[in-house]
Amino acid sequence: MCVGLPAKVVKMKNGTAVVDATGAKREISTELLTDVHPGDYVMVHAGMAIAKITADDQSETEEILAAF
Amino acid sequence: MNDYITLAHGAGGKQTNELIGGIFRKYFENPYLTADDAAVLPEIKGRIAMTTDGFIVSPRFFPGGNVGRLAVCGTVNDLACMGAKPLYMTVSCVIEEGFSIAELEEIVKSLAETAEEAGVNVVAGDTKVAGKGQVDGIFITTAGVGEVQEGTDLSGANAAPGDVILVSGDIGRHGGTILLARDDYGIEADLTSDDAPLNHLMEEMIAVTKDIHVIRDATRGGVGTVLYEIASESHVGVEIERDSIPVDPSLAGVCGMLGLEPLYLACEGRFVVIAPEQYKDQLLEVMRAGKYSANAACIGKIIPEHEGRVVVTTSIGARTLLPPPGGELLPRIC
Amino acid sequence: MMKVNQKALEMIQNYSGSPVRIMEVCGTHTHAIFEHGIRSVLPDRIKLISGPGCPVCVTETDYIDEAVWLALEKGCVITTFGDLVRVPGTEMSLAGARAHGADIRTVYTPLDAVEIAVKEPDKQVVFLSVGFETTVPISCLAVQKAKERGLTNFSLLTANKTMDEAYRVLKGSADAFLFPGHVSTYTGMQIYRDLAEEGISGAVCGFTADEILTAIAVILVKLQEKKPFAVNCYTRVVTEEGMPAGRALVEKMMQPCAARWRGIGEIPGSGLMLRPEYEDFDARIKYQMPHIEGHPNPACRCGEILMGKVKPFECPLFGKVCTPEHPVGACMVSSEGTCSAYYKYSI
Repeated sequence: MCVGLPAKVVKMKNGTAVVDATGAKREISTELLTDVHPGDYVMVHAGMAIAKITADDQSETEEILAAF
Repeated sequence: MNDYITLAHGAGGKQTNELIGGIFRKYFENPYLTADDAAVLPEIKGRIAMTTDGFIVSPRFFPGGNVGRLAVCGTVNDLACMGAKPLYMTVSCVIEEGFSIAELEEIVKSLAETAEEAGVNVVAGDTKVAGKGQVDGIFITTAGVGEVQEGTDLSGANAAPGDVILVSGDIGRHGGTILLARDDYGIEADLTSDDAPLNHLMEEMIAVTKDIHVIRDATRGGVGTVLYEIASESHVGVEIERDSIPVDPSLAGVCGMLGLEPLYLACEGRFVVIAPEQYKDQLLEVMRAGKYSANAACIGKIIPEHEGRVVVTTSIGARTLLPPPGGELLPRIC
Repeated sequence: MMKVNQKALEMIQNYSGSPVRIMEVCGTHTHAIFEHGIRSVLPDRIKLISGPGCPVCVTETDYIDEAVWLALEKGCVITTFGDLVRVPGTEMSLAGARAHGADIRTVYTPLDAVEIAVKEPDKQVVFLSVGFETTVPISCLAVQKAKERGLTNFSLLTANKTMDEAYRVLKGSADAFLFPGHVSTYTGMQIYRDLAEEGISGAVCGFTADEILTAIAVILVKLQEKKPFAVNCYTRVVTEEGMPAGRALVEKMMQPCAARWRGIGEIPGSGLMLRPEYEDFDARIKYQMPHIEGHPNPACRCGEILMGKVKPFECPLFGKVCTPEHPVGACMVSSEGTCSAYYKYSI
């Protein structure tokens, strides 16, 4: 449905950002996300940042599996 | 001399001679290249390998090389894959009217330098000029002749179960470099083509053992296509391990963005080598000492089952099939 | 070897409950499941079914015919994501149109299509706006930018779709869904809580082997509670609220419409089209497109395959007439397509 690639925000300017995916760089739009800064990781789809990637890893999931 | 190629350069008169003398002969200088109609060459001992190839690339200059260097690499690597030491090659250029002479000189110079590096003489050549728009810049066609090294028996049909599969470096960088150089997708990465003449490497490998079963030059279609060819020609299965395939991280990033499989991107200086397992470490050692093969790796083995197919062991230890090659390479976005 | 959630894997492999059917609706999941070899580590009683989540696969033959018409009859430059180029239309694919002289260009993003329109003002540029919730905002952004820059040579041919109504149609096809990770970055979690109220269960799932195995294990646990559920197993990317700015933009520029899904038929309210204020950017209106009725190959069972009702090998065309090199149905074209994945990866 939607291929996404995690990439690091290198620099930002007027709603666009240059992102770096292990050395491949591309300018993308970050207009629809708030609170994105250089150094953040974002999920990129079709030239747009669709989400910020956070460290919040699987809290609910861990709970469900732990209860089992 | 004019700054641009004109139809007069192809007419066979004074300007043709100026072009040939001023550029081609200047760089290709060797005792076999004469003004006569054909090169007359000394006797060759043993079996002769012969190949031909055409070179059209857009753009003509790219990070790490150009169409001239490519023409030599493609020709000598094809010979080397058959265990042949390249000796002679011919070069035929079809050039578009209006082509920059300075650019032509740069291509020819690069071609000559690469030929010298590979130790091959350009013994005959031809130049034609085509009207504007009839060709795209320059088309180069080569032929190559080599001497098959005694005791070798290399063929895509020789892979046997138990053999190991080695690649002579990280894969797909030429294809990735060209894709970015065309700038259709706005992606930048620090990538250079892997184009390189590998005949000296071949000689060092057969000094380790003449019992190498297959050497293939992974060009158009990449390593994946070569593996499918070998699986089919040798009636065996190929098993490769995903995590052991060397891929430049930047190239992996490019592939991730565009949804491309690095195994199907072209290389221009990468051997796929199939040999009995006992020689694995020695072969890797000479490869890793080579100028163009420092990242050589063992990526898998030949198996008796799954004839004609390439099976991939995934990062979770499961097995899946490498999708067979086919169709145009198209960036996959959704 | 990659870190695998060992506990999840053990739970899956030791699963001894009643047989379970889990449907992945996202084509990228279908692709990832094959690429990681997930099926080969599942016991027989856990079945993964591939549903209709590849935007290429659910695209009707008519849509390709419309794009070919714009390219050949109107001389438009067609800009598109790569996979659409080979989808068969009634007469020809876009690759076929290109062989007939059409100007077909693949782009990485619709924003690049806008740049083409800027650089080539004498050409009419149409972007083929397919895709689900994840992709819609970027198409809207492209139109917004074209409008701001006063472009009159850029438009969309829309076939965008949304998933929520599709889940309702698919209810009963599976015990639980692997909800699409990247669509969920846009929707957020509320939609899944609403679906759970209606008895539709699932877990939002990422795309690594670890994330897929974990989501499957979570589904197995939750199914035993015998209560409908919605769990976010992709919290590093998907937030509770999703992408409010994206939804606001889409709401402003697009309105729901009925959409036809290849093989499934029309699902009311499952499509998106530009609102009348933006009709200058709607290629169907701009070029006064006539009604074009496509005629797909009647033997093709893409529809039932997309619904998870039949497996690709049960289609008479699969692997014989229909192969990735010569696809008949869209499911064979897209690398995300169920048929393509089965054909390419089946050992």
